[in-house]
Amino acid sequence: MGKLRISTPTLLLLPAMIVLAAVIVLPLLLSLWSSFTPFRLTKPDTLYVFIGFRNYVTAMSDPIFWTAFGRTVFLLTVALNLEMVFGLGLALLVEKATRGQRILRTLMMFPMMFSPILVGFQFKFLFNDNVGLVNNALQSLGLTDQAIPWLIDGNLALFAIIVAEVWSSTSVFAILILAGLMAMPKEPLEAAKVDGCTPWQSFRFVTLPFIMPFAYIAMTIRSLDVARAYDIVKIMTDGGPARRTELLWTLIGRTAYSDAKMGFANSMAYISILLSIFFTFYFFRKLAASRASIAAEW
Amino acid sequence: MASNQAHRLRKRLLSVAHFLGLALAMTIILLPGLWIVISSLRPTVEIMAKPPIWIPQELSLDAYTSMFGKVGQGGIPVWSYFRNSLIISVTSTIIAIIIGMSGGYAFARFSFKGKSGLFLGFMLSRAVPGIALSLPLFIIFARIGIIDTHFGLILAYVALNVPFTIWLIDGFFRQVPKDLAEAAQIDGCTRWQAFWQVEFPLAGPGIASAGIFAFLTSWNEFALASQLTRSVNSKTLPVGLLDYTSEFTIDWRGMCALAVVMIVPALTLTFMVQKHLVSGLTSGAVKG
Repeated sequence: MGKLRISTPTLLLLPAMIVLAAVIVLPLLLSLWSSFTPFRLTKPDTLYVFIGFRNYVTAMSDPIFWTAFGRTVFLLTVALNLEMVFGLGLALLVEKATRGQRILRTLMMFPMMFSPILVGFQFKFLFNDNVGLVNNALQSLGLTDQAIPWLIDGNLALFAIIVAEVWSSTSVFAILILAGLMAMPKEPLEAAKVDGCTPWQSFRFVTLPFIMPFAYIAMTIRSLDVARAYDIVKIMTDGGPARRTELLWTLIGRTAYSDAKMGFANSMAYISILLSIFFTFYFFRKLAASRASIAAEW
Repeated sequence: MASNQAHRLRKRLLSVAHFLGLALAMTIILLPGLWIVISSLRPTVEIMAKPPIWIPQELSLDAYTSMFGKVGQGGIPVWSYFRNSLIISVTSTIIAIIIGMSGGYAFARFSFKGKSGLFLGFMLSRAVPGIALSLPLFIIFARIGIIDTHFGLILAYVALNVPFTIWLIDGFFRQVPKDLAEAAQIDGCTRWQAFWQVEFPLAGPGIASAGIFAFLTSWNEFALASQLTRSVNSKTLPVGLLDYTSEFTIDWRGMCALAVVMIVPALTLTFMVQKHLVSGLTSGAVKG
């Protein structure tokens, strides 16, 4: 009679595994299945009709899908890069401050406390062509005498969304990079100075490698919630005008709930899940690599 | 002499540039929020005025009193949304912390087969976009009849929060030296007692901050809530804010006031935990 023995770590991890299996893994399996069916909410029976890869083929040959896909990747790339650059700059500025550093650090975290939906609302208000702060300021300064249609013109709207996205997430980078700067041992920097490095050289070859793991933690965290952009876009433009700011996620939401094409939407959702997982996995690997290179040097 | 003076001048210029850079950055960070707060206190005519009025002429709390009085401005039941948000966020946080503590402890203190794979798997489950997860959850919840209930949303948020809670709590337990619990066990504590009397108090502040992080995630979540809630029974504040924007006449002042109501709890809580949050996230940065 072999007694069923469960080891302690398994027992401790069991609740987490059960919850994740029930609320994430199982639903994902269901959505994987339904992406191979013509499932519509209005016709429950369609869930049992298998149509193979037809949804995926339709999505892949749909220019609307590819535009949204391309725009999503473009938005993420631009936003993550800008956030990295601004975050690094902000962290360096705050680290150099001799007085009031604690207050500055607290203020720096301010945008992190805003939920994406609030960020979206806030910038919808600021960029409003009629009552917005941006247009009011431009007009008061005499830079333009017309109201600039920030959220009505496609390109300007995408720009406004990127501004909102960067504003809200730069502080994630800044705060983690600042933590890296403060944890950094001072000796290597002094040694570099003694060896005659210029400030730029010691930044490039001493400081930067040390803070890269921290930057990659920020990237990993950000890639875990890249879909935050859904909330921002939803409230700012809802994918409009005429789909000019449509991202994968708004397109999925529209297809699933407005057009009720659940199966088709799920096939697109799977493509967007793979995209997210790719980003996360990529940065996780980068994190491990940069951590290893530091451990080797110090 | 001349070079000395030039050097001093350069140094002064640099410090001025540094100050200006900081001031500019802080303005960009703070101005939007400040503008929302000011707008929530100004009468609508002033917000709409052309040419713009920069200095507020009169301030009042009208927007707040009308929001919480009666059924709410424009028929939006802010008070019920607020209550729903609070119940759902608090309950899901407590459950997520209990699950996260046991999971985080397992990751921090035991080595077992497939550990890093499991950890990555947990993290990847967090990479599923909310809107993509909402589709199957909507189908299932509709089938078992828990759409538009507190229970449904709590269940979803627990799952959403567990991976991140485990990441943070794992970091905090790792900062507590292993020897301490071992010493307590030598002195006659059971492992259970050693955990509650030695390790838990030391990791306590960190766990509290993980809890606040989980609370904020639930408090702010929109993509799932917008699909899994239908009515005043379970709609949360972020969904309520979107209700506001889809009204025919946009009431900017009322929306600004609602935004302030949403941000105040988040602001207070984040202030309390900012220190622990960063140390928890970065605890594995340099040493794996």
